[in-house]
Amino acid sequence: MNKKGRHVVLVKNLKFVRSTIGVKYQKKAQSEVGNSTKAEQFIKDLKNHTSKMNDVIFKKIPTSESVVTVIYSSSLVDKITMQLMIFIPLANHLNQIHQVAEVIKTTDVNGITSKLISGQTLLYFHQSNLLLSIDTYSAPTRSITNTETESTVIGPQDAFTESLETNISLVKRRIQNPMLKNEERTIGKETNTKISILYIDNIVNQENLERLRNRIDHIDYPAYFDISVLKQLIEDNPLSPFPQYYMTVRPDTVAYYLLDGRMVVFMDNSQDALVCPTSFLEMFISIEDYYNRWTTASLLRMLRFFGFFLTIMITPMYISALTFHPEILPYELLLNLQESRSKVPFPPLFEVLFIELIIEVLREAGSRMPTKVGQTIGIVGGIVIGTAAVEAGLISNILIVLVATSSLLSFLPPIFLMSNTSRFVRYIFILSAGLFGLFGQMLAFAWLITHLLRLNSLGTPFMTPVIPRKASDLMDSIVRFPMAYLKEKMGISRSQKK
Amino acid sequence: MSTNKRKLLNRYHVVFLVQSTMFGTGVLSLPQRLSSLGYSQALFPLLFGVIASLSIWPMIWINSKYKNENLFRINEILLGKWIGKSINLFIVLQFTLFLAAIISSYMNLIQTTALPEQTMTIPVLFFLLLLTYIVNGGIKSVARFCIMAFFITIPMLYFLRWAIEKGEMSHLFPLFNYNGHEFFEALRKGYLSILGYEVIMFYFPYIVNQKKAYKHALVGIWISIILCFITTIVSVLYYSEWQLENIEFSVLHLFKAGEFSFIERIDIIGITLWIFLILSTAAGYLWSAKKGLDSLRSKKKKYHVYLITIVIFAVVVMPISHESQKKLFEGSHYVGYLLLVWPIFLSVVHILRKKQVQQ
Repeated sequence: MNKKGRHVVLVKNLKFVRSTIGVKYQKKAQSEVGNSTKAEQFIKDLKNHTSKMNDVIFKKIPTSESVVTVIYSSSLVDKITMQLMIFIPLANHLNQIHQVAEVIKTTDVNGITSKLISGQTLLYFHQSNLLLSIDTYSAPTRSITNTETESTVIGPQDAFTESLETNISLVKRRIQNPMLKNEERTIGKETNTKISILYIDNIVNQENLERLRNRIDHIDYPAYFDISVLKQLIEDNPLSPFPQYYMTVRPDTVAYYLLDGRMVVFMDNSQDALVCPTSFLEMFISIEDYYNRWTTASLLRMLRFFGFFLTIMITPMYISALTFHPEILPYELLLNLQESRSKVPFPPLFEVLFIELIIEVLREAGSRMPTKVGQTIGIVGGIVIGTAAVEAGLISNILIVLVATSSLLSFLPPIFLMSNTSRFVRYIFILSAGLFGLFGQMLAFAWLITHLLRLNSLGTPFMTPVIPRKASDLMDSIVRFPMAYLKEKMGISRSQKK
Repeated sequence: MSTNKRKLLNRYHVVFLVQSTMFGTGVLSLPQRLSSLGYSQALFPLLFGVIASLSIWPMIWINSKYKNENLFRINEILLGKWIGKSINLFIVLQFTLFLAAIISSYMNLIQTTALPEQTMTIPVLFFLLLLTYIVNGGIKSVARFCIMAFFITIPMLYFLRWAIEKGEMSHLFPLFNYNGHEFFEALRKGYLSILGYEVIMFYFPYIVNQKKAYKHALVGIWISIILCFITTIVSVLYYSEWQLENIEFSVLHLFKAGEFSFIERIDIIGITLWIFLILSTAAGYLWSAKKGLDSLRSKKKKYHVYLITIVIFAVVVMPISHESQKKLFEGSHYVGYLLLVWPIFLSVVHILRKKQVQQ
């Protein structure tokens, strides 16, 4: 057969093939047309829905399978991630995409948009009308740095960051235990903030856990920017000046409490972790106590704990001794005080309030200013105002010493919230000392004790172990016994394991 | 909160509730009340301890027959609604007066030692506000406060050191140098100081381990008795017989014997710190009085506490002479003795009406 003849046969064959499967071909083409209109409609809907979101990008890419529209929010996904996870596999190995991606079945535009704003990339296959999503969330995060608020001399120096995943991974690096559970939730109907409840399943008290879940599920608050907001919403007594849950930025502290049977809550975009339940005493405990030798640790703990009571008592004592009971002071001391107060025209109450408020102002101004200016202002302001006020006869020398000591003491607790509280409580004591002297002070002290006794932290008494719950707790209270004795878990966590 | 549960009080709570309600202002003037015995009073608190341990037994017995009822309900069950309720009213009134007496005497003390230039109306008001705050937390809050009060005030014992150093050992002997009349005089006046353990009849239903309640109550009683014993011994050592008879708050003056280079008058600190003991005693009584009012009106209302508090406030600040006020309070004290005998009477009624009541 010559060339021409062969060609004729081929053409004939081709015609035959066309004529036999032509119907099928046509149908397929028709359905393709139908799909493509459907696809265009879908893309159009989505475009309409996200029209005001300028960072949403629609990119049409032809692939070996069909035309794919890649939809993503450019502010939440960085270019390298896109390149590595989407574009290269789309061009070369489409099955890679199918392995990683998750099929979205919903046709609800709102649901699809919410995927977009959580940083996922959507892949829409025009021909098969298939919608896939791939998690490509790669928002910028801060790297792990040293703790600035809870720094220690000994012990690990890393601190949590604002990323939920990083924080959880920092804890999981310390506790490699399959029982460490991690429950995720989304709260805040405006911000849709992710939180995570961490606990060790075979240690944690289930009743406590249920209570915490219940509280978190029943709050109704629109927006969360920090976990301290959540903390205030789920506290037992929101009106109290005392923080009822522990907050920390240290992964080792969190790991310690988890192993003791507490629950820890993390929130996305929040550096702090919430530990609950906690007792009053634990507000004065730093994780560094366990890294120090027991002697040093005990000494420091005692300082912090009794420092709290000293800081609320020193300046009120000055007021009541000078206003109501000069006879409790020995003659020489009284003379000394009177001499130093001789130029001061105000009653002791106003004198104390004046200088205490100045210190508050200095502290607040110093903390809000840029660091470099703040320190200078703090030191210069403190010295200048202090000396000048004494020389001007506004306050006495001795009071400066007392106020400085008491404000230093108020910064001893490792939790900043607690030192704020101690300063607030001090004003109650100052006012009551101004009203009734020592009697007023003791009245305020009785109030403080009653209030602390009535407080609960997640349903557990806040004053443990002072109100005895467990004898072994006393080994790790104001005095920290040598490490070999500290084997039992604290009573407040009511853990399953002993 | 855990207040919804019925059984609240563990053994520590019971021990210190008993201990703290006994230990109030009474101790301050105990040596003076016992002064008819002179130096022989030193061992007397131990006798009180024995009497208290015996008299608390019928209280616990009658309560253990009605495990979930307090004395107010038991009165109603055993004596019928009307007689029971009138007796209850009487008890509530007595408690109110008794509270007024405690608070008034303490406030007088504060006025004479710590705040000589002020009237007491506003301090009393603040004191009562704090008291209601404690009582509103329920019996568990009261019990916890009692524990804290004990541990906060116990270091005051250290202040007795100087009095012991300056005291005279020979005062202690002979031990039994008195006649029968003096004995009863001391018993009548002095026993008031250790009253307070009878409140157990009102919080008994809340005790977890009711079978051991007697044992725990005894521990509480004897802690108080030992403290009273120490103070009387030290007073006997330190004071002369004339001083024992004429110094009203002699225990307070024991603190004055102290010598620090930086504090001259420890007694002022001591007496202001005593507020913890007064609060814990008063809280026990106020809580019971509130329960009484609840049972009288057959419903629980929070304002019952405030009602009683207002009455107390009125009695404490009312403008009548100090003398007649004192008489009123003395009277209420003696009525307090009746409450010690009352459970014995109830026990008899219980035995007689056992079957009737059980039906």
